[in-house]
Amino acid sequence: MCDLSPALAEFTAERFGVPNWFTDYRAMLDAEDVDVVHVLTPPATHQRIVADSLESGCHVIVEKPVALSNADFHALWALSQSRHKMLVENHNYRFNAPVRKLESLVADGTLGKVEEIEVRMALDIRSGGRYADRNLPHPSHQLPAGVIHEFISHLVYLFLHFVPEDQRDSVESVRAAWRNEGGGELFKYDSLDAVLIAGAVHGRLRFSSRQWPDALAVTVRGSRGVASAELFHPVLQLTKQRGGSKHLTPLVNALGQSATLFRSGFGSIWSKIRNRTAYEGLDLFLRQTYEALASGSKPPVGFDDMDRTSRVIDALLARENRL
Amino acid sequence: MKWLVTGASGFLGRHVVDAALARGHSVRALLRPVSATPSEWESDPRIEVVRGDLRARGSGEAMAEGVDGVIHLAAAKEGDLYEQFSGTVLATENLIEAMRAQGVERMVLAGSFAVYEYLDLPRMSLLDETTPLAIDPAVRDEYCQTKLVQERLVRRAADEAGWHCVILRPGVIFGSENLWNGRVGFAAGGRWWVCTGSGSVLPVAYVENCAEAFVNAAEYQGERGTQTFNVIDDELPTHRSYLREMRRSSGGGARIIPLPWPVMQTLAAAAALVNRLFFKGTAKLPGLLVPARVHARCRPMRYSNARIKEVLGWAPRCDWRAGIARSTGHGVDA
Repeated sequence: MCDLSPALAEFTAERFGVPNWFTDYRAMLDAEDVDVVHVLTPPATHQRIVADSLESGCHVIVEKPVALSNADFHALWALSQSRHKMLVENHNYRFNAPVRKLESLVADGTLGKVEEIEVRMALDIRSGGRYADRNLPHPSHQLPAGVIHEFISHLVYLFLHFVPEDQRDSVESVRAAWRNEGGGELFKYDSLDAVLIAGAVHGRLRFSSRQWPDALAVTVRGSRGVASAELFHPVLQLTKQRGGSKHLTPLVNALGQSATLFRSGFGSIWSKIRNRTAYEGLDLFLRQTYEALASGSKPPVGFDDMDRTSRVIDALLARENRL
Repeated sequence: MKWLVTGASGFLGRHVVDAALARGHSVRALLRPVSATPSEWESDPRIEVVRGDLRARGSGEAMAEGVDGVIHLAAAKEGDLYEQFSGTVLATENLIEAMRAQGVERMVLAGSFAVYEYLDLPRMSLLDETTPLAIDPAVRDEYCQTKLVQERLVRRAADEAGWHCVILRPGVIFGSENLWNGRVGFAAGGRWWVCTGSGSVLPVAYVENCAEAFVNAAEYQGERGTQTFNVIDDELPTHRSYLREMRRSSGGGARIIPLPWPVMQTLAAAAALVNRLFFKGTAKLPGLLVPARVHARCRPMRYSNARIKEVLGWAPRCDWRAGIARSTGHGVDA
């Protein structure tokens, strides 16, 4: 357990029953017999801490973005390979239940051939909280994409995850409008509207800080249907071709969606009572990662996932305001 | 003496600055970068306004230069654990570093009644400075957790370096900007005030009385080390009588719906039983259904201010009825 603040390091160590705590991660790496380092620090610090951890012979699980550019990621990856250590970026939302259901609908052909993917995140980060704090600006404001850099990885890896595997390396025609719709000096950007094409799949990535309610939705449209997974208020809505009379298909789909919405309304309350948050996917991601570490198999987020994600982020950043 | 007052433009802070000036002290008032400066301070030579955010490492060093002591009121009362830890604990950690660097050896810290244990106390216990601290802060709230860590930091620093340190734990501070509080209840639909724990005693401290307690603590010339005092007024209302007086003084017409303590206690105990039996205690329930939180807010207790009156010579000058009247603009000088 390591934090720059002794008070926070001590508090966290006590809370989780960790015997030792440090304020210098290098001292921790020297003093402790560490197998895996979880890097949960601000993005701009990842490069140095991940590199030092790999150099010390540790596997690394790092918060997104793993690095601030694709070139930086490649440097870290090369280091991890030279040390025969695992480097895994947290793509937690890929492991949330609605996304996994969406995965199965794509995999079993319910949606047909994937044609269009939209990933939309709405977060009210301007009206209060840590990102809107003008007294002590959050370090994310200094990132290349400003605060959106904290969230852009989610949009990109969720998009890429639903692009057919053989088309994930052919992302092109990237156009992105990065805007500061709310104005002022604090935020570099608070809005992103991007379109991109991967092979035959059209994509749209949208981040907004001016909508209600907060949302993270992945919509996949295919040749046989459309499905939308919402992660903050977990629900998966499906419109698909159905057997029988095609005239009855809209009615059957509407009834199915009504039942889904009804269940999700109660499900939201149930999730609150059971203390289940949008981070529910993190448990599965970590479980699978540790199983891979124990067995020596491939981790759930591999080189291609991280490489493609950081490449698309680079491309989005290179096309500021050219939509 | 010259005092650095953190949180100086806050609800309590402004009154502490006034009380310190009235006793002949001068004040360096720490305001956050975008906080407004109270207009009456601008032409007052006894007040030096400095700006900064104690959450930033190394930010406090210049602020602490040349002062005789620190009255530390700044804390975060809202937000998640990250935000409250940052605003309360990290800010205090940085302030302590600044005091060490500048050789400042006096501190008065604003603690809180939130740090005490309530659930495990015998019925109608006397809550005073000897009452045990919260046994399981994680089941209470972020405020309880962070105020406990803050106190521990200050106590440790003061005892290690032999500072003159006073921790004041005020009860419910009330005044014109802060008449409502979570203990007495909540408004329902605009026309109803639900009074939680209606017959329980409310440990109030009128803000002007409380501010004078801080100045008394600053002037305390006792032994080095840490002293702790609770700050509450002499006469204390029940939750219901406080609400009634507030309604009368403000001329409002809301109807007060009493929710007696036995009802609340039974509901919370039943919810806890269901949680334990069916969810292994993992269900997240509203605060009014969590025994540790309900007891901290509404449990019938007895309170004492004997120690602060005896050791610091503090005497609250304005009783709670007059405090409400002054807060609603109907009062006269006490």
